[in-house]
Amino acid sequence: MSEGAPTAAETRRIAEEARDRVRFEEEALQLSDQVYRVARRLAGSRDEAEDLVQDTYARAFRSWQQYQPGTNLRAWLLRILTNLNIDRGRRSQRTPEQTPLEEGDYYLYNRLESTMPDENPDEERVLERLSQNAVVESLAEVPHDFRDVLVLVDIGEFSYAEAAQILDIPVGTVMSRLHRGRRILKQQLADKAIGVG
Amino acid sequence: MGCGCHDCEQLMQPYMDGVLSEEQIREAQEHLERCPGCDKRFRFEAKLRHFVRIAVDEPMPAELKARLAGLRIAT
Repeated sequence: MSEGAPTAAETRRIAEEARDRVRFEEEALQLSDQVYRVARRLAGSRDEAEDLVQDTYARAFRSWQQYQPGTNLRAWLLRILTNLNIDRGRRSQRTPEQTPLEEGDYYLYNRLESTMPDENPDEERVLERLSQNAVVESLAEVPHDFRDVLVLVDIGEFSYAEAAQILDIPVGTVMSRLHRGRRILKQQLADKAIGVG
Repeated sequence: MGCGCHDCEQLMQPYMDGVLSEEQIREAQEHLERCPGCDKRFRFEAKLRHFVRIAVDEPMPAELKARLAGLRIAT
């Protein structure tokens, strides 16, 4: 008659699982500010970012057992988020390979400096030529493939290897997209600060 | 115009990313010590990266945070 009653081992296992689950959910929620910060720049709008983060957490809480304790939980959450973002078809159109380029890394500095009256301005003065709005708008204009990497590495402070894992692309691709993404961003910034021409 | 230090320019982003070999790091540092033009541009690049991070930062709406907590399955 006692076949329906759980054994002591089973009871212990259920209790442990419940405890692990609570811990997982708490740790995931503690990272939500950081997840949102990245999501906000991967997504085109605030509403889109909020939906993405919400769907990410709903999925994470459902499939928490797929997470391996001890690995990078923030990267795991961002992996879910970027997959959801792709599923939504946001990137159905491929980024054209012939994005206008290739200016050097010093391009932005040189262009900003060339418009200043002082002969040899302090770098702080040069940087002040850029407004917060210009940065936000310029980043939004970087094509998706490049922006994803740029946001993960430069905003989210993920390593190349982590970004590669999150986006499921080779590290070499992360490096080349990051390189081009930064240059595209600088070109946009220069155009906004100085005007196209 | 730039200072014309093309090789150094190539090293700046990876230098900031901390992915250069020890020899390349030494090479970059030695060049920065000798070349005020690159040194200033390097400082600009580092400050730019920081500025970009700050400029695009938007705090998560408190209401979203509450919604996420509401998604919890564990009790």
